[in-house]
Amino acid sequence: MRLPRGIRIERRLELPRRTSAALSAVFILLSFLVASAVFEMMGVNSVRTLSTVVSVFLSPPSLLQAVQRGLPIGLAALGLSIAFRMNFWNIGAEGQIYMGMFAATGMVLIHAYYGLIPEPLLMLSMVLAAFIVGGAYCLLPGFLRGRLDVNEILPTLMLNYVATLFVDFLVYGPWRDPQGFSFPLSIPFPQYARMDSFLGHSSYLGLLIMVVIAFLVYGLMQRTTLGFEMRVVGQNLEAARYAGISIFRTLLIGSFIAGGLAGIGGFTLVSGLIGRLRPRASPGYGYTAIIVAFLAGLNPWLIIPAAVFFGGLLVAGETIQAALNLPFAAVQVFQAIIFIMIIVAEFIKRYRVSIRI
Amino acid sequence: MESPEKLVEMRSITKRFPGVLANDSASFTLLRGEVHALLGENGAGKTTLMNILYGLYTPDAGEIFVRGRRVQIRGPKDAISLGIGMVHQQFRLIPTHTVAENIIVGARDVGFVLRFGRINERLSELIKYYGWSISPTSKVWQLTAGEKQQVEILKALYRGAEILILDEPTSVLTPQETVVLFQTLRKMASQGLGVVLISHKLDEVMAVSDRVTVMRRGRTIVTKPTRETNQRELAFLMVGRELSELEARPMAAGGKPVLEASGLQILDDKGLLAVKNISLRLFRGEILGVAGVSGNGQEELIEALVGLRKVRAGKILLDGVEMTNRPSADFIREGVAYIPAESLRYTAADMTVAENIILKSYRNRRFSKRIFINWKTVYDEAGKIIKDFNIVTPSPFSKAGNLSGGNIQRLVIARELNLQDNIKVIVAAYPSKGLDVASTEFVQRKLVEAREKGVGIILLSEDLEELFLLSDRIIVMYRGEIVGELPRQQFDLEKVGLMMTGVKGAEVKA
Repeated sequence: MRLPRGIRIERRLELPRRTSAALSAVFILLSFLVASAVFEMMGVNSVRTLSTVVSVFLSPPSLLQAVQRGLPIGLAALGLSIAFRMNFWNIGAEGQIYMGMFAATGMVLIHAYYGLIPEPLLMLSMVLAAFIVGGAYCLLPGFLRGRLDVNEILPTLMLNYVATLFVDFLVYGPWRDPQGFSFPLSIPFPQYARMDSFLGHSSYLGLLIMVVIAFLVYGLMQRTTLGFEMRVVGQNLEAARYAGISIFRTLLIGSFIAGGLAGIGGFTLVSGLIGRLRPRASPGYGYTAIIVAFLAGLNPWLIIPAAVFFGGLLVAGETIQAALNLPFAAVQVFQAIIFIMIIVAEFIKRYRVSIRI
Repeated sequence: MESPEKLVEMRSITKRFPGVLANDSASFTLLRGEVHALLGENGAGKTTLMNILYGLYTPDAGEIFVRGRRVQIRGPKDAISLGIGMVHQQFRLIPTHTVAENIIVGARDVGFVLRFGRINERLSELIKYYGWSISPTSKVWQLTAGEKQQVEILKALYRGAEILILDEPTSVLTPQETVVLFQTLRKMASQGLGVVLISHKLDEVMAVSDRVTVMRRGRTIVTKPTRETNQRELAFLMVGRELSELEARPMAAGGKPVLEASGLQILDDKGLLAVKNISLRLFRGEILGVAGVSGNGQEELIEALVGLRKVRAGKILLDGVEMTNRPSADFIREGVAYIPAESLRYTAADMTVAENIILKSYRNRRFSKRIFINWKTVYDEAGKIIKDFNIVTPSPFSKAGNLSGGNIQRLVIARELNLQDNIKVIVAAYPSKGLDVASTEFVQRKLVEAREKGVGIILLSEDLEELFLLSDRIIVMYRGEIVGELPRQQFDLEKVGLMMTGVKGAEVKA
């Protein structure tokens, strides 16, 4: 790239953790400022908008909602944190969420129509099915990359559309609730297939699941030989090959787990938030998960608060839409601004930009 | 008699990179009509200093004078118009174009309509003057490394360079090509050009230069006429301490071969037959040197011998056990260590030094139980290994990517020698390529130590002196075949050099 004379960009050494965290915080605050400017341009009172956002996190009921929304985002992001560490650029969490919803709903239908799964095991089977089907869905691009060296970005992205339309097909067709007045909806889940039948509110169980999985992901990546192999594969393929690591096997396992966790995210969506399967049940949680994974620096523990934060933004978005008459896109603009700021912050952490005239 | 004109004078040049002081008020003068060697270990700042002269970096402080006038060099364009040319270690040529086309790329005075007749004529004159054999109309991909280098030199001369910088020019050449290059350098000097030769090889500096400037840790330590100094003194100035002499005693090798290959055929990355039919035996406590101009199948051969490349035909036996086409993890488990060239390529730069040390031994029971890695043991052990191998790093937790080249090579050697308790074979490919004197000595010492413990070692090197120093036996490869084998008593620079160009062993003796 050609830069104007006087501007130089040089790599810098690692920053201390504190400086790095402070930089991130500054840039997130900065994104609030930029967003305010955008809101003002749209003719909306930015102070009121931002205070709506902040208030979401201050009242317990809306905080629970934020957690609820943050669940599919956070679980998908936990999966992505594995994939991205492996340098496997899975853009397909959205599709994997849909496949998770499909699998979880499938279990409910098997239970309801054929009575094959006993009541107490239904939830567990839903989670497992969501994990396996979501994982299998991510296995295909993993296989293509590992065997044929096909870049994973396009396959994972395209498979999102396939999954979304597949779920559409089901709820408009074979899985439509016979008593549903021909609305494109599955049958409502029985209470024991809903997450709020445990611990009262679905966000409690969800938070528990998220913490356990974050713990497992952290352990996997940092403590096990498999996690070590995945990190080496992500760092340097040639080094991995030289170390006798089977890149193919590592990619398969990693992509399976990554897709599986997004699948569980899909489970929380149908079992926790909605209670049945409907078309377009995810408004892009799988894409938001990408932002969350990066905001958290791929650290599983930081993914949880980051996911709740973005869940809260969605909740706030609904209020803003209703109260201030803003389009939903305004929330997406806000998300995008935050994402851009994160990228800028990352750049500044890695490079020193000096301007000399 | 008036003294020769100062072509270049660099005064108190300082250049800082993140975490490193690459040049610390370094000074350098180049006279008209001299070959001036810039000598120093890796990371001493030689290349940085010359990159500054060529405009690739701007200095943080200091002044540059060219032909007595103070100048600001803001980029290679400025440098070229001042008559400065540089030949980099990696060639910057377009393989599918002709020599002449490559030379006029970026040249200013060729005009809009290219008159190749006139350009070729001028190039032919220059080529003839230097006694080369390239033609302006041949395509670059057909040329040998030495000829490509001549094209690079020609490029600088065609643009009217009076000041020519060559960065480690001999690293890609055969001994014979090196002789030709040195003749060229002498001729250029006698024409009144100033030539800067960046090098860390003492014998070269002694052979071809008029004056030598030694750099150490970013500083220019001393500048001397070459005939007033000697290798020993230069080595001392360069390293800052005396080097101990390495002595390789030939050891009686015998018994069963530890590694045996027969009838190997191996394909290269393009699917062409790179190794045609090679059989070899390696004994315990033996260093088997493999000589050859790079690209004659040696790389493919050794990759196959460590399980990183499949063989199309033939057999590999390790201690009598068939290993042909087994996964490389099996070779690692059976005790085959592999020290590759360009160790950086085999390093996970963003992972810690300790993680890189166990990159190949993490499956070992010492470091992991079932699926869990025991990080406490890893970091304890890594701490010891770092001390044993003198790896300069703030801590085992630092990123490996922040280590210098020599330290990364130490890390890789530490990794390989701690592969497991029972190492049978070490395959070392160009283990000291690009390393400075102290690190080279370290690497060689470690190899000799391993040999004394009974390990069989295959050593691939383009430095014949290193091969002669260390090997018990040398095989020479040419176009995928072994053209000759010499026992230690018959080592001879000229003989091996000839074999490297394809002359069979028997013919050489005659």
